[in-house]
Amino acid sequence: MMSAFGVNAAHLHLVLNHVPTLGAFVAVGLLLMALIRRNEALQQIGLEVLFIIALVTLPVFVTGAAARPALKNGPAFSDIAVRSHLDAAIAGFTVIELAGFAAWLALFQSSRRGRASRALVTTATLLLVVALLLMGRAATLGGEIRHPEMLTAEASTATIDPNQFLASRISEYMVNSWWAWPAAETVHFLGLSLSIGVLLAVNLRILGVMRHVPFGDVHRLLPWGMLGLGVNLVTGMLFFVGQPGQYIRNAPFHWKIIFLVIAGANFLYLTVFKKGFTDRYDPNLAEKAMAVASIASWLIVLYAGRMLPYLGNAF
Amino acid sequence: MLEWIESFGIAVWLRESPSVWAHPTVLTLHTTGMAVLVGASYVLDLRLLGIGRNIPLAAYRWIFPVVAIGLTVNLLTGVMLFAKNATSWGTALPFLVKMSLVVASVATLVPLRKYVLHGVGQSEGGRVRLMAFASLLAWSGAVTAGRLLAYLVVA
Repeated sequence: MMSAFGVNAAHLHLVLNHVPTLGAFVAVGLLLMALIRRNEALQQIGLEVLFIIALVTLPVFVTGAAARPALKNGPAFSDIAVRSHLDAAIAGFTVIELAGFAAWLALFQSSRRGRASRALVTTATLLLVVALLLMGRAATLGGEIRHPEMLTAEASTATIDPNQFLASRISEYMVNSWWAWPAAETVHFLGLSLSIGVLLAVNLRILGVMRHVPFGDVHRLLPWGMLGLGVNLVTGMLFFVGQPGQYIRNAPFHWKIIFLVIAGANFLYLTVFKKGFTDRYDPNLAEKAMAVASIASWLIVLYAGRMLPYLGNAF
Repeated sequence: MLEWIESFGIAVWLRESPSVWAHPTVLTLHTTGMAVLVGASYVLDLRLLGIGRNIPLAAYRWIFPVVAIGLTVNLLTGVMLFAKNATSWGTALPFLVKMSLVVASVATLVPLRKYVLHGVGQSEGGRVRLMAFASLLAWSGAVTAGRLLAYLVVA
Protein backbone atom coordinates (compact mmCIF):
# COMPACT_ATOMS: atom_id res chain seq x y z
CA MET A 1 0.00 0.00 0.00
CA MET A 2 1.25 3.43 -0.86
CA SER A 3 2.18 5.58 2.08
CA ALA A 4 0.40 8.86 2.49
CA PHE A 5 3.61 10.47 3.70
CA GLY A 6 5.52 11.06 0.49
CA VAL A 7 8.55 12.54 2.21
CA ASN A 8 10.25 10.74 5.03
CA ALA A 9 8.84 11.12 8.50
CA ALA A 10 11.87 12.93 9.89
CA HIS A 11 11.41 15.63 7.27
CA LEU A 12 7.70 15.86 7.85
CA HIS A 13 8.30 16.19 11.58
CA LEU A 14 10.65 19.12 10.96
CA VAL A 15 8.00 20.76 8.80
CA LEU A 16 5.14 20.18 11.26
CA ASN A 17 6.87 20.53 14.61
CA HIS A 18 6.41 24.26 14.98
CA VAL A 19 2.66 24.11 14.47
CA PRO A 20 1.63 23.09 18.03
CA THR A 21 3.80 25.63 19.84
CA LEU A 22 3.08 28.54 17.49
CA GLY A 23 -0.58 27.56 17.22
CA ALA A 24 -0.94 27.28 20.99
CA PHE A 25 0.67 30.69 21.30
CA VAL A 26 -1.92 32.17 18.93
CA ALA A 27 -4.77 30.41 20.78
CA VAL A 28 -3.55 31.78 24.14
CA GLY A 29 -3.46 35.24 22.61
CA LEU A 30 -7.00 34.95 21.25
CA LEU A 31 -8.42 33.62 24.52
CA LEU A 32 -6.70 36.28 26.63
CA MET A 33 -7.85 39.01 24.29
CA ALA A 34 -11.40 37.61 24.44
CA LEU A 35 -11.18 37.63 28.24
CA ILE A 36 -10.01 41.24 28.41
CA ARG A 37 -12.47 42.52 25.82
CA ARG A 38 -15.26 40.23 27.05
CA ASN A 39 -15.82 39.25 23.45
CA GLU A 40 -17.81 36.03 22.96
CA ALA A 41 -17.07 35.73 19.23
CA LEU A 42 -13.34 35.99 19.82
CA GLN A 43 -13.59 33.42 22.58
CA GLN A 44 -15.39 31.05 20.22
CA ILE A 45 -12.61 31.41 17.63
CA GLY A 46 -9.93 30.90 20.31
CA LEU A 47 -11.59 27.68 21.47
CA GLU A 48 -11.94 26.43 17.91
CA VAL A 49 -8.28 27.17 17.17
CA LEU A 50 -7.33 25.36 20.38
CA PHE A 51 -9.32 22.27 19.36
CA ILE A 52 -7.69 22.24 15.93
CA ILE A 53 -4.20 22.58 17.47
CA ALA A 54 -4.98 19.58 19.70
CA LEU A 55 -5.98 17.69 16.56
CA VAL A 56 -2.90 18.48 14.47
CA THR A 57 -0.57 17.75 17.37
CA LEU A 58 -1.41 14.09 16.73
CA PRO A 59 0.48 13.85 13.38
CA VAL A 60 3.29 15.95 14.87
CA PHE A 61 3.71 13.45 17.69
CA VAL A 62 3.47 10.45 15.41
CA THR A 63 5.95 11.72 12.80
CA GLY A 64 8.36 12.52 15.64
CA ALA A 65 8.46 8.91 16.78
CA ALA A 66 8.88 7.90 13.15
CA ALA A 67 11.90 10.17 12.80
CA ARG A 68 13.90 8.31 15.43
CA PRO A 69 15.10 5.38 13.29
CA ALA A 70 16.11 7.84 10.55
CA LEU A 71 18.43 9.58 13.02
CA LYS A 72 19.78 6.49 14.68
CA ASN A 73 22.50 5.83 12.12
CA GLY A 74 23.32 9.47 11.55
CA PRO A 75 26.30 11.34 12.94
CA ALA A 76 26.32 12.50 16.56
CA PHE A 77 23.18 10.61 17.48
CA SER A 78 22.38 11.14 21.12
CA ASP A 79 20.02 8.51 22.47
CA ILE A 80 19.51 10.45 25.68
CA ALA A 81 18.54 13.61 23.79
CA VAL A 82 15.98 11.69 21.71
CA ARG A 83 14.49 9.93 24.73
CA SER A 84 14.28 13.16 26.74
CA HIS A 85 12.56 14.83 23.79
CA LEU A 86 10.07 11.95 23.49
CA ASP A 87 9.18 12.07 27.18
CA ALA A 88 8.72 15.84 27.04
CA ALA A 89 6.58 15.39 23.91
CA ILE A 90 4.36 12.83 25.67
CA ALA A 91 3.77 15.31 28.51
CA GLY A 92 3.03 18.18 26.10
CA PHE A 93 0.79 16.00 23.94
CA THR A 94 -1.21 14.77 26.92
CA VAL A 95 -1.89 18.26 28.26
CA ILE A 96 -2.73 19.79 24.85
CA GLU A 97 -5.24 16.95 24.29
CA LEU A 98 -6.80 17.70 27.70
CA ALA A 99 -6.93 21.39 26.79
CA GLY A 100 -8.55 20.48 23.45
CA PHE A 101 -11.11 18.36 25.29
CA ALA A 102 -11.96 21.22 27.67
CA ALA A 103 -12.26 23.56 24.67
CA TRP A 104 -14.60 21.07 23.00
CA LEU A 105 -16.81 20.90 26.09
CA ALA A 106 -16.98 24.71 26.15
CA LEU A 107 -17.89 24.81 22.45
CA PHE A 108 -20.55 22.15 22.93
CA GLN A 109 -22.02 24.12 25.81
CA SER A 110 -22.00 27.38 23.86
CA SER A 111 -23.82 25.66 20.96
CA ARG A 112 -26.53 24.45 23.30
CA ARG A 113 -26.91 27.33 25.75
CA GLY A 114 -25.62 30.23 23.73
CA ARG A 115 -22.59 30.66 25.96
CA ALA A 116 -19.89 28.56 27.57
CA SER A 117 -19.43 28.54 31.33
CA ARG A 118 -16.61 30.73 32.63
CA ALA A 119 -15.10 27.83 34.57
CA LEU A 120 -14.74 25.68 31.47
CA VAL A 121 -13.16 28.41 29.37
CA THR A 122 -10.76 29.24 32.22
CA THR A 123 -9.86 25.54 32.58
CA ALA A 124 -9.20 25.24 28.84
CA THR A 125 -7.04 28.39 28.89
CA LEU A 126 -5.01 27.28 31.91
CA LEU A 127 -4.45 23.82 30.43
CA LEU A 128 -3.41 25.48 27.19
CA VAL A 129 -0.82 27.63 28.99
CA VAL A 130 0.61 24.54 30.74
CA ALA A 131 0.62 22.67 27.40
CA LEU A 132 2.42 25.57 25.75
CA LEU A 133 5.15 25.46 28.41
CA LEU A 134 5.49 21.67 28.14
CA MET A 135 5.53 21.76 24.34
CA GLY A 136 8.08 24.57 24.43
CA ARG A 137 10.27 22.34 26.60
CA ALA A 138 9.76 19.45 24.14
CA ALA A 139 10.74 21.76 21.29
CA THR A 140 13.90 22.87 23.10
CA LEU A 141 14.91 19.27 23.82
CA GLY A 142 14.08 18.41 20.21
CA GLY A 143 16.39 21.12 18.97
CA GLU A 144 19.23 19.62 20.97
CA ILE A 145 18.92 16.36 19.01
CA ARG A 146 20.37 17.92 15.88
CA HIS A 147 22.38 20.54 17.65
CA PRO A 148 24.45 18.55 20.12
CA GLU A 149 26.73 21.54 20.60
CA MET A 150 23.94 23.00 22.75
CA LEU A 151 23.86 20.00 25.09
CA THR A 152 25.31 20.43 28.54
CA ALA A 153 28.41 18.34 29.20
CA GLU A 154 26.79 15.96 31.67
CA ALA A 155 23.84 15.23 29.37
CA SER A 156 26.06 14.19 26.50
CA THR A 157 28.14 11.79 28.56
CA ALA A 158 25.49 10.34 30.91
CA THR A 159 24.80 6.63 30.70
CA ILE A 160 21.29 5.62 29.81
CA ASP A 161 18.92 3.81 32.09
CA PRO A 162 15.81 3.23 29.96
CA ASN A 163 13.69 2.94 33.12
CA GLN A 164 14.15 6.59 33.87
CA PHE A 165 12.10 7.41 30.76
CA LEU A 166 8.32 7.40 30.75
CA ALA A 167 8.06 6.12 27.17
CA SER A 168 10.22 3.10 28.00
CA ARG A 169 8.16 2.30 31.07
CA ILE A 170 4.89 2.50 29.11
CA SER A 171 6.36 0.31 26.39
CA GLU A 172 7.70 -2.20 28.91
CA TYR A 173 4.28 -2.48 30.53
CA MET A 174 2.27 -2.69 27.31
CA VAL A 175 4.53 -5.39 25.87
CA ASN A 176 5.28 -7.51 28.92
CA SER A 177 2.06 -7.45 30.88
CA TRP A 178 -0.30 -10.30 30.00
CA TRP A 179 -3.40 -8.14 30.27
CA ALA A 180 -2.55 -4.55 29.27
CA TRP A 181 -2.51 -4.98 25.48
CA PRO A 182 -5.63 -7.22 25.20
CA ALA A 183 -7.52 -4.99 27.66
CA ALA A 184 -6.62 -1.85 25.71
CA GLU A 185 -7.67 -3.57 22.44
CA THR A 186 -11.03 -4.48 23.96
CA VAL A 187 -11.66 -0.96 25.22
CA HIS A 188 -10.55 0.37 21.81
CA PHE A 189 -13.26 -1.76 20.12
CA LEU A 190 -15.97 -0.66 22.58
CA GLY A 191 -14.93 2.96 22.01
CA LEU A 192 -15.05 2.68 18.25
CA SER A 193 -18.54 1.14 18.35
CA LEU A 194 -19.82 3.99 20.51
CA SER A 195 -18.26 6.71 18.34
CA ILE A 196 -19.46 5.20 15.09
CA GLY A 197 -22.98 4.67 16.48
CA VAL A 198 -23.27 8.31 17.56
CA LEU A 199 -21.73 9.74 14.39
CA LEU A 200 -24.04 7.55 12.33
CA ALA A 201 -27.08 8.91 14.18
CA VAL A 202 -26.05 12.58 13.87
CA ASN A 203 -25.08 12.30 10.20
CA LEU A 204 -28.17 10.29 9.28
CA ARG A 205 -30.25 13.14 10.71
CA ILE A 206 -28.51 15.53 8.30
CA LEU A 207 -29.11 13.03 5.49
CA GLY A 208 -32.85 13.13 6.12
CA VAL A 209 -33.47 10.28 8.54
CA MET A 210 -35.39 11.47 11.65
CA ARG A 211 -36.35 14.51 9.57
CA HIS A 212 -38.91 15.71 12.09
CA VAL A 213 -36.53 15.60 15.03
CA PRO A 214 -34.83 18.97 15.68
CA PHE A 215 -31.10 18.77 14.96
CA GLY A 216 -30.43 20.11 18.46
CA ASP A 217 -31.94 16.98 20.02
CA VAL A 218 -29.64 14.70 18.02
CA HIS A 219 -26.70 17.04 18.71
CA ARG A 220 -27.23 16.08 22.37
CA LEU A 221 -25.61 12.70 21.60
CA LEU A 222 -22.24 14.19 20.59
CA PRO A 223 -20.58 13.97 24.04
CA TRP A 224 -21.00 10.19 23.82
CA GLY A 225 -19.22 10.20 20.49
CA MET A 226 -16.49 12.29 22.14
CA LEU A 227 -16.29 9.76 24.97
CA GLY A 228 -15.58 6.98 22.46
CA LEU A 229 -13.04 9.17 20.65
CA GLY A 230 -11.28 10.11 23.90
CA VAL A 231 -11.09 6.53 25.13
CA ASN A 232 -9.67 5.49 21.77
CA LEU A 233 -7.11 8.26 21.73
CA VAL A 234 -5.82 7.07 25.11
CA THR A 235 -5.76 3.36 24.22
CA GLY A 236 -4.42 4.14 20.75
CA MET A 237 -1.53 6.16 22.16
CA LEU A 238 -0.76 3.31 24.57
CA PHE A 239 -0.36 1.01 21.54
CA PHE A 240 1.70 3.58 19.68
CA VAL A 241 4.08 4.39 22.53
CA GLY A 242 4.12 0.69 23.46
CA GLN A 243 5.27 -0.55 20.06
CA PRO A 244 6.06 2.45 17.82
CA GLY A 245 7.98 0.22 15.43
CA GLN A 246 4.73 -1.47 14.41
CA TYR A 247 3.17 1.77 13.24
CA ILE A 248 5.70 4.30 12.08
CA ARG A 249 6.50 2.72 8.73
CA ASN A 250 3.06 1.26 8.29
CA ALA A 251 1.20 2.87 5.35
CA PRO A 252 -2.35 2.19 6.62
CA PHE A 253 -1.37 3.84 9.91
CA HIS A 254 -0.46 7.03 8.06
CA TRP A 255 -3.85 6.99 6.31
CA LYS A 256 -5.53 6.31 9.62
CA ILE A 257 -3.95 9.40 11.20
CA ILE A 258 -4.86 11.60 8.22
CA PHE A 259 -8.49 10.50 8.25
CA LEU A 260 -8.62 10.78 12.03
CA VAL A 261 -7.68 14.46 11.70
CA ILE A 262 -10.37 14.88 9.03
CA ALA A 263 -12.96 13.06 11.18
CA GLY A 264 -11.94 15.21 14.16
CA ALA A 265 -12.32 18.43 12.17
CA ASN A 266 -15.76 17.22 11.08
CA PHE A 267 -16.61 16.52 14.71
CA LEU A 268 -15.85 20.17 15.48
CA TYR A 269 -18.02 21.23 12.52
CA LEU A 270 -20.95 19.19 13.86
CA THR A 271 -20.44 20.58 17.36
CA VAL A 272 -20.59 24.25 16.36
CA PHE A 273 -23.13 23.73 13.56
CA LYS A 274 -25.31 26.72 14.53
CA LYS A 275 -27.48 26.51 11.44
CA GLY A 276 -28.76 23.12 12.56
CA PHE A 277 -30.37 24.77 15.59
CA THR A 278 -32.65 27.00 13.54
CA ASP A 279 -36.33 26.10 13.26
CA ARG A 280 -37.25 23.73 10.43
CA TYR A 281 -33.60 23.19 9.57
CA ASP A 282 -33.44 21.58 6.16
CA PRO A 283 -29.94 20.48 5.14
CA ASN A 284 -28.68 21.53 1.72
CA LEU A 285 -26.66 19.39 -0.66
CA ALA A 286 -23.26 20.57 0.62
CA GLU A 287 -24.22 19.68 4.20
CA LYS A 288 -25.41 16.27 3.06
CA ALA A 289 -22.14 15.71 1.19
CA MET A 290 -20.34 16.63 4.41
CA ALA A 291 -22.39 14.04 6.33
CA VAL A 292 -21.47 11.33 3.81
CA ALA A 293 -17.80 12.38 4.03
CA SER A 294 -18.01 12.19 7.82
CA ILE A 295 -19.34 8.63 7.86
CA ALA A 296 -16.80 7.68 5.19
CA SER A 297 -13.83 9.07 7.16
CA TRP A 298 -14.83 7.19 10.31
CA LEU A 299 -15.13 3.97 8.33
CA ILE A 300 -11.74 4.60 6.69
CA VAL A 301 -10.19 5.12 10.13
CA LEU A 302 -11.69 1.80 11.22
CA TYR A 303 -10.67 0.04 7.98
CA ALA A 304 -7.07 1.30 8.08
CA GLY A 305 -6.81 0.42 11.75
CA ARG A 306 -8.08 -3.12 11.38
CA MET A 307 -5.92 -3.65 8.27
CA LEU A 308 -2.73 -2.45 10.02
CA PRO A 309 -1.30 -5.95 10.36
CA TYR A 310 -2.23 -6.96 6.81
CA LEU A 311 -1.65 -4.01 4.50
CA GLY A 312 1.32 -2.67 6.39
CA ASN A 313 4.57 -4.36 7.23
CA ALA A 314 4.03 -4.63 10.96
CA PHE A 315 3.02 -7.16 13.60
CA MET B 1 -18.12 -32.56 12.31
CA LEU B 2 -15.87 -29.59 13.19
CA GLU B 3 -13.12 -31.07 11.03
CA TRP B 4 -15.60 -31.45 8.21
CA ILE B 5 -16.51 -27.76 8.47
CA GLU B 6 -12.85 -26.84 8.44
CA SER B 7 -12.37 -28.75 5.19
CA PHE B 8 -14.85 -26.56 3.28
CA GLY B 9 -13.33 -24.73 0.34
CA ILE B 10 -13.98 -21.33 1.85
CA ALA B 11 -12.41 -22.36 5.18
CA VAL B 12 -9.29 -23.61 3.43
CA TRP B 13 -9.15 -20.43 1.32
CA LEU B 14 -9.39 -18.21 4.41
CA ARG B 15 -6.69 -20.21 6.18
CA GLU B 16 -4.25 -20.50 3.33
CA SER B 17 -4.70 -17.61 0.93
CA PRO B 18 -2.09 -14.89 1.38
CA SER B 19 -4.41 -12.40 -0.35
CA VAL B 20 -5.63 -9.32 1.57
CA TRP B 21 -9.06 -10.13 0.12
CA ALA B 22 -9.16 -13.37 2.09
CA HIS B 23 -8.90 -13.41 5.89
CA PRO B 24 -7.94 -9.72 6.38
CA THR B 25 -10.92 -8.40 4.43
CA VAL B 26 -13.41 -10.81 5.98
CA LEU B 27 -12.12 -9.91 9.46
CA THR B 28 -12.29 -6.17 8.72
CA LEU B 29 -15.86 -6.54 7.39
CA HIS B 30 -16.69 -8.33 10.62
CA THR B 31 -15.29 -5.40 12.63
CA THR B 32 -17.15 -2.86 10.46
CA GLY B 33 -20.40 -4.80 10.87
CA MET B 34 -19.77 -4.87 14.62
CA ALA B 35 -19.27 -1.09 14.78
CA VAL B 36 -22.52 -0.42 12.89
CA LEU B 37 -24.55 -3.07 14.71
CA VAL B 38 -23.28 -2.39 18.23
CA GLY B 39 -23.02 1.36 17.67
CA ALA B 40 -26.64 1.66 16.52
CA SER B 41 -27.80 -0.54 19.42
CA TYR B 42 -25.85 1.64 21.87
CA VAL B 43 -27.59 4.77 20.55
CA LEU B 44 -31.01 3.18 21.11
CA ASP B 45 -30.03 1.88 24.56
CA LEU B 46 -28.77 5.33 25.55
CA ARG B 47 -32.08 6.88 24.46
CA LEU B 48 -34.08 4.38 26.50
CA LEU B 49 -31.83 5.13 29.47
CA GLY B 50 -32.56 8.84 29.09
CA ILE B 51 -29.82 10.23 26.80
CA GLY B 52 -31.49 12.38 24.15
CA ARG B 53 -34.90 11.96 25.73
CA ASN B 54 -36.32 14.83 23.65
CA ILE B 55 -36.14 12.63 20.57
CA PRO B 56 -39.47 10.81 20.16
CA LEU B 57 -38.91 7.05 20.35
CA ALA B 58 -40.71 6.54 17.06
CA ALA B 59 -37.91 8.53 15.37
CA TYR B 60 -35.54 5.68 16.23
CA ARG B 61 -37.15 3.37 13.68
CA TRP B 62 -34.01 3.64 11.51
CA ILE B 63 -32.03 1.72 14.12
CA PHE B 64 -33.56 -1.61 13.17
CA PRO B 65 -32.76 -1.74 9.44
CA VAL B 66 -29.22 -0.51 10.28
CA VAL B 67 -28.87 -3.24 12.91
CA ALA B 68 -30.22 -5.76 10.41
CA ILE B 69 -27.55 -4.79 7.87
CA GLY B 70 -24.77 -5.07 10.46
CA LEU B 71 -26.15 -8.35 11.72
CA THR B 72 -26.35 -9.84 8.22
CA VAL B 73 -22.77 -8.84 7.40
CA ASN B 74 -21.57 -10.28 10.69
CA LEU B 75 -23.52 -13.52 10.39
CA LEU B 76 -22.00 -14.16 6.97
CA THR B 77 -18.45 -13.14 7.88
CA GLY B 78 -18.79 -14.76 11.31
CA VAL B 79 -19.73 -18.13 9.79
CA MET B 80 -16.73 -17.84 7.47
CA LEU B 81 -14.35 -16.97 10.32
CA PHE B 82 -15.74 -19.84 12.37
CA ALA B 83 -15.31 -22.31 9.51
CA LYS B 84 -11.66 -21.27 9.25
CA ASN B 85 -10.98 -22.24 12.86
CA ALA B 86 -13.84 -24.65 13.57
CA THR B 87 -11.83 -27.30 15.41
CA SER B 88 -10.15 -24.88 17.80
CA TRP B 89 -13.09 -22.52 18.32
CA GLY B 90 -15.93 -25.05 18.31
CA THR B 91 -14.99 -26.35 21.73
CA ALA B 92 -13.37 -23.23 23.21
CA LEU B 93 -15.16 -21.69 26.19
CA PRO B 94 -14.47 -18.04 25.21
CA PHE B 95 -16.06 -18.66 21.80
CA LEU B 96 -19.14 -20.27 23.34
CA VAL B 97 -19.41 -17.37 25.79
CA LYS B 98 -19.19 -14.92 22.89
CA MET B 99 -21.93 -16.71 20.95
CA SER B 100 -24.21 -16.80 24.00
CA LEU B 101 -23.70 -13.08 24.50
CA VAL B 102 -24.46 -12.34 20.84
CA VAL B 103 -27.68 -14.39 21.08
CA ALA B 104 -28.60 -12.62 24.32
CA SER B 105 -27.92 -9.19 22.74
CA VAL B 106 -30.06 -9.93 19.71
CA ALA B 107 -32.76 -11.30 22.02
CA THR B 108 -32.94 -7.96 23.87
CA LEU B 109 -33.62 -6.23 20.54
CA VAL B 110 -36.87 -8.14 20.02
CA PRO B 111 -38.87 -6.56 22.89
CA LEU B 112 -37.08 -3.22 22.37
CA ARG B 113 -38.15 -3.24 18.71
CA LYS B 114 -41.76 -3.96 19.66
CA TYR B 115 -41.62 -1.12 22.16
CA VAL B 116 -40.16 1.41 19.70
CA LEU B 117 -42.25 0.47 16.66
CA HIS B 118 -45.59 -0.33 18.23
CA GLY B 119 -45.40 1.28 21.63
CA VAL B 120 -46.00 -2.15 23.19
CA GLY B 121 -45.38 -2.03 26.92
CA GLN B 122 -45.45 1.76 26.96
CA SER B 123 -46.47 1.74 30.60
CA GLU B 124 -43.59 -0.45 31.63
CA GLY B 125 -40.93 2.26 31.75
CA GLY B 126 -38.84 0.53 34.40
CA ARG B 127 -38.83 -2.79 32.61
CA VAL B 128 -37.79 -1.17 29.31
CA ARG B 129 -34.92 0.64 31.01
CA LEU B 130 -33.77 -2.65 32.52
CA MET B 131 -33.93 -4.28 29.09
CA ALA B 132 -31.95 -1.41 27.54
CA PHE B 133 -29.33 -1.77 30.26
CA ALA B 134 -29.17 -5.53 29.66
CA SER B 135 -28.76 -4.85 25.94
CA LEU B 136 -25.89 -2.41 26.62
CA LEU B 137 -24.12 -4.94 28.84
CA ALA B 138 -24.71 -7.91 26.54
CA TRP B 139 -23.35 -6.11 23.45
CA SER B 140 -20.31 -4.87 25.39
CA GLY B 141 -19.73 -8.39 26.68
CA ALA B 142 -20.02 -9.81 23.17
CA VAL B 143 -17.49 -7.30 21.81
CA THR B 144 -15.14 -8.03 24.72
CA ALA B 145 -15.36 -11.79 24.32
CA GLY B 146 -14.95 -11.48 20.55
CA ARG B 147 -11.87 -9.28 20.78
CA LEU B 148 -10.32 -11.51 23.46
CA LEU B 149 -10.75 -14.62 21.29
CA ALA B 150 -7.58 -13.56 19.49
CA TYR B 151 -5.67 -13.87 22.76
CA LEU B 152 -7.48 -16.67 24.57
CA VAL B 153 -7.90 -19.23 21.79
CA VAL B 154 -4.94 -20.24 19.70
CA ALA B 155 -6.24 -20.88 16.20
